[in-house]
Amino acid sequence: MPRYLTRFFIRFGLATFTLLSLGPVIWSVVTSLLPLSALTSRPPDLNPLNITLENYSLVLDSSRGLFSGLINSFIIATFTSAVGLVVGSMAAYALARLNLPGSNKLLLMILATQMFPGIVIAIPLFLVMSRTHLVDTHFGLIAVYLSFILPIVIWILKGFFESVPMELERAAAVDGASPIQTFRYIVLPISLPPLFATGVFAFIEAWNEFFFAIILTRINVKTASIAIAEFSGQYQTLYGQMLASAVLASVPVVALAIIFRRFILEGFVEGAIKA
Amino acid sequence: MATLELVNITKKFGDFTAVENINLRVEEGEFVTLLGPSGCGKSTILNMIAGLEEVTSGEIYINGKQVNRLSPFERDVAMVFQNYALYPHMTVEENIGFSLQLRKRPKNEIQAKVRKVAAMLELERFQHRLPRELSGGQQQRVAIGRAVIREPSIFLFDEPFSNLDAALRIKTRGEIKELHQRLGVTSVFVTHDQEEALSLSDRIAVLRMGQLEQYGSPEEIYSKPATKYVARFIGTPQMDMFAGEFVNDGGLYYQVGSAKVAVSDTLQAPGVSVDIGVRAEFVTLGAKGFDATVRLVQPVGPFTYVTVAWDDGSVTARVNGVSRLKPKENIKVEINPKELLFFDRATEKRLNP
Repeated sequence: MPRYLTRFFIRFGLATFTLLSLGPVIWSVVTSLLPLSALTSRPPDLNPLNITLENYSLVLDSSRGLFSGLINSFIIATFTSAVGLVVGSMAAYALARLNLPGSNKLLLMILATQMFPGIVIAIPLFLVMSRTHLVDTHFGLIAVYLSFILPIVIWILKGFFESVPMELERAAAVDGASPIQTFRYIVLPISLPPLFATGVFAFIEAWNEFFFAIILTRINVKTASIAIAEFSGQYQTLYGQMLASAVLASVPVVALAIIFRRFILEGFVEGAIKA
Repeated sequence: MATLELVNITKKFGDFTAVENINLRVEEGEFVTLLGPSGCGKSTILNMIAGLEEVTSGEIYINGKQVNRLSPFERDVAMVFQNYALYPHMTVEENIGFSLQLRKRPKNEIQAKVRKVAAMLELERFQHRLPRELSGGQQQRVAIGRAVIREPSIFLFDEPFSNLDAALRIKTRGEIKELHQRLGVTSVFVTHDQEEALSLSDRIAVLRMGQLEQYGSPEEIYSKPATKYVARFIGTPQMDMFAGEFVNDGGLYYQVGSAKVAVSDTLQAPGVSVDIGVRAEFVTLGAKGFDATVRLVQPVGPFTYVTVAWDDGSVTARVNGVSRLKPKENIKVEINPKELLFFDRATEKRLNP
């Protein structure tokens, strides 16, 4: 195939993919800016003169639960990613470097926990949580999220730590660093970009999670995703407000993703090793 | 400064024996090179001395004290790694000062020492740069600086020049030798480059498949190799070896095909089959000796290496300056009988004293 054709197909594919992924986002933003009347008329009245921020001001009214939902989501996602990173990075480093007996089996077991669909463990998990009085608490949801985010963090970071040149750690050992100091002063600083990327990933996972949140929360710890879903009621769905909430809830995630992109692109072990 | 002694050191990785029963003593202030091809176990030995690798059996003594169970740091050794292993996120200054920082030395003391070391290695201008902003040679010097600042009792070098280009390699070689003369710290150096070993070392340990072939001064290793292996490994061009036999023809000769080489009058033919070896500098081309044809002429500047061949063998001669010989020319070849080396064909060990 001639080169220009190949290039055409690649670009065509990319453009299609971009449109398909951006379409719903654009539609959400448009919808959130229009009054309900404009949306429910047939055909929808997309006259830009109708644009209003009414939906936003309505959903930010504290009585609607979105604001507290955002705060709950923020608390839960922050703690999940922070604890996940601290515990996960240490576990991953130990599994990558310490040559522990049975560490391969351990890794497989960690992976195996990920092989059950959420629905299978939903009922037993609810029972456990309710007997330990953890239903509708921040701690309960964080614990549940950690149970599926930690394995992923461990697997991702283990792969990265294994790629850190062994000589760096040997050099640190010769310089007199203990394993903990080697981790703290050498491995951790050069691992910041992947750590950050993994942290953002964990944050987004916890932020977007819906299934366990709806099972394990009632009133106090409703997360943003639940608050958004609640705009869809038995008798009517407030599309404008629902999508305004969704747009607001996406802001932190999008912001994180933008920063995270910059980090990922940075070369990080360059200059360590002369190959 | 310290002495280093390896006693019956063996290292096994599973069923594979990487290092077998090595005994080696390095005197105070000595510069010793472990020389051998890749896979001969030289780096493994260095790692065991450093404490980065455990010995399977045997003992390591530093200054007469057994250190088998001590950490690299407690052994008071410093190491320069093949790929430098500079900390990529630290500046030159921080890289060099890291060991002092770990020991919680006061800041101004660290700064002063780093400055001194940086000055010694001509790195002052780069103190605030990151490793990736330095050239290969500068990175190399930072790696050395990181070792020097510790003032260790032993320096360990793991093929530190293998990533430098040829010119820089020779320059750095000189710098390391000068550094050793200045500081006088006991050093163990690993390389596969025989020229490096010859030019740097007080003594060389030649290794082969995890075993020590010979341990001696560069002169001994070069002119009195203990085995055929050492003889061929050391020296450029490689020593020529012949599998011929002794003949008595009004004097003792060694015959290789149609070529007959007179052997030192005082020598008796030993009772075993013998291979002989000769270095290029002891082969003379001219009017005397046996007949041969020029096959290859390789000028290298101060010398020309001329390889001549006859029906059943070939030998390379070192000719001073530029040789006017051309391939296919006929010439006579003479070999200095006093400089012949005799090796037992079966055991490969050298026979003549």
